[in-house]
Amino acid sequence: MAGVTLRNVVKRFGSFEVIHGADLEVEDGEFVVFVGPSGCGKSTLLRMIAGLEDISDGEIAIGGTVVNDVEPADRGTAMVFQSYALYPHMTVEKNLSFGLRMNGNDKADTARRVERAAKILRIEELLDRRPGQLSGGQRQRVAIGRAIVRDPEVFLFDEPLSNLDAELRVQMRVEIARLHAELGVTMVYVTHDQVEAMTLADRIVVLRDGRIEQIGRPLDLYDDPANRFVAGFVGSPKMNFMAAEVVGAENGSVTVALTNQGGARLTVPAKNGFAAGDKLTVGLRPEHFGGAGEGDCELSVKVDVAEHLGSTSYVYANTASGEQLVIEREESRSEIGVEHLTVSIPAARTYLFDASGARLR
Amino acid sequence: MRMRTRAAYGFLTPYLLIFAAFWVWPIVYSFYLSFLATRIQPWRFNPGMTWGRLVVDPAFANALKNTLIILVIQVPVMIALATLLAVLLNSQLLRARGIMRFAFFAPVVVGEAAYAAVFRLMFNADFGVVNKLITGIGLPRVDWFASPTAAMALIIMAVTWRWVGYNAIIILSGLQAIPNDVYEAATLDRVSKPRQFFFITLPLLKPIILFCVVLSVIGTMQLFAEPFLITNRGGPGGATETLGLFLYRQGFTVLNFGYASAVAYTIAALAIFISLVNLWIGRSPK
Ligand SMILES: Nc1ncnc2c1ncn2[C@@H]1O[C@H](COP(=O)(O)OP(=O)(O)O)[C@@H](O)[C@H]1O
Ligand SMILES: [Mg+2]
Repeated sequence: MAGVTLRNVVKRFGSFEVIHGADLEVEDGEFVVFVGPSGCGKSTLLRMIAGLEDISDGEIAIGGTVVNDVEPADRGTAMVFQSYALYPHMTVEKNLSFGLRMNGNDKADTARRVERAAKILRIEELLDRRPGQLSGGQRQRVAIGRAIVRDPEVFLFDEPLSNLDAELRVQMRVEIARLHAELGVTMVYVTHDQVEAMTLADRIVVLRDGRIEQIGRPLDLYDDPANRFVAGFVGSPKMNFMAAEVVGAENGSVTVALTNQGGARLTVPAKNGFAAGDKLTVGLRPEHFGGAGEGDCELSVKVDVAEHLGSTSYVYANTASGEQLVIEREESRSEIGVEHLTVSIPAARTYLFDASGARLR
Repeated sequence: MRMRTRAAYGFLTPYLLIFAAFWVWPIVYSFYLSFLATRIQPWRFNPGMTWGRLVVDPAFANALKNTLIILVIQVPVMIALATLLAVLLNSQLLRARGIMRFAFFAPVVVGEAAYAAVFRLMFNADFGVVNKLITGIGLPRVDWFASPTAAMALIIMAVTWRWVGYNAIIILSGLQAIPNDVYEAATLDRVSKPRQFFFITLPLLKPIILFCVVLSVIGTMQLFAEPFLITNRGGPGGATETLGLFLYRQGFTVLNFGYASAVAYTIAALAIFISLVNLWIGRSPK
């Protein structure tokens, strides 16, 4: 059992710095998900923990031991690769046992471990097949099985589900959650899919361009994003962002005009420090729009497209002068074909961001 | 016949005619020839003078023995070297990999006569650079062209030098098809680099290596240029005479076309047979 600690971890490829000093404390037994857009450095960070990339600067500790100079195989980690990385010429059974056999592990123990992993992952009847004879989902199970067999203290997953189709992805997601509950070990999981992050994580680490933007529990990130990037990244459909300008600031609140929404005015509770003329961004999640007359500010919008999913509908709308909005509505069967819609913005549900994307409170 | 099919055959006819005249006919005709006694006119049907002679002709037995000896030593040595070379050429540590790859491939492009001349000079008993090196480290001088064993070794070295890079490039393509994360997974499984080579790389390269072995077997069965040019037409005294050279003598020097045809068919049959045995040994389980 072991936690993972990152202290000011930096990674450079040549002179090109891709991780700019990451600090993170993963608790023993915790499920932590690294999420962020493609190329932000998630895999690099994970591979540094595994020992597949060396650490340019800073320190990584696993179970309290600094592992910067420890061989990958001695770190107590096991990794599941995006491409599965199975040994193509070996049967599933051989794939699972290869590492143990190569290290002179006791035969009976090897057999027992393989059997246990196969049972956990329900791949007992596949043991004699080769990777080429397996479906994507089955290969993924074998790849996870190979990690289980090593009995690691930390599981590392690099986008393990991204090569699977949507249905299988949901199914495997549940399996991985079950696995975490069953084994109770630390897991660090990389994905670019925020839904996977939200559903699996104890805590999410949001990365952008090699920097940690925010660390927190899924719903904390959702409810209280630290900046515009996190606000836009967590949640689906995305948060709406509307350009605004400060028109007046009183004690404890600020009044803004929504520039591209016909200048609609909105008074939002916020601390001081605003001056008339400041440019801001107002954020509002699709599900937080209210019906006409319910909020603190009315918007009349023209419907572009409406997706009716039965229980909910997503309305993609435009004001005559500006930004696109996504509005989630509950009961809107009666609105099929409607072209104009009036919605309202509840001030308490909005988020304010300054021009650099930092959150204003 | 459908109209389209007929049109298609119409367009194919010129090629098919050429194919029949210059491919099929010589093959069929030489098979027919292999049953004729062709030493004296008129040619007569007499397989005893061709196929029958194969069994008893000591010169043929000598050529067959020499060819098989070269085959058994040269092919495995060359393929092993080629594999090693491919691994080196694939290494991230190697500088100027592109130039190195070309350099090892280059012997294939060099004309046979030119390369043979260089080898003759290098292995010259009196002033060749090889003997200078050998005597330089205190070993006795080797008379490469007068000693049967040394001449055989020389042929094997020459053929290996010429084709090792070619095979290495083919094997290199196989190496590059092995995804890197398989090795990373093995590293995490605490499998050392040498063991990764023997337990992952080699098994995954098996089909490619087998392909190279078959190509090399076919090439060596037809070996001709090296014993002809480097060791003076199979010298010393027939010690490096190969089946290819023997065939050449029968066909072009003695002009015994019937016997030469039988020899040619034997070479082809042996090459196919040995290749099939290789493929059978290297077949994947199940
Ligand atoms: N071996 C490498 N050499 C040079 N640059 C690399 C290497 N691996 C990754 N990078 C760069 O590092 C950045 C982060 O990559 P990566 O960690 O793979 O991103 P992610 O997994 O988040 O998509 C990218 O800009 C990528 O181009
Ligand atoms: Mg990645």
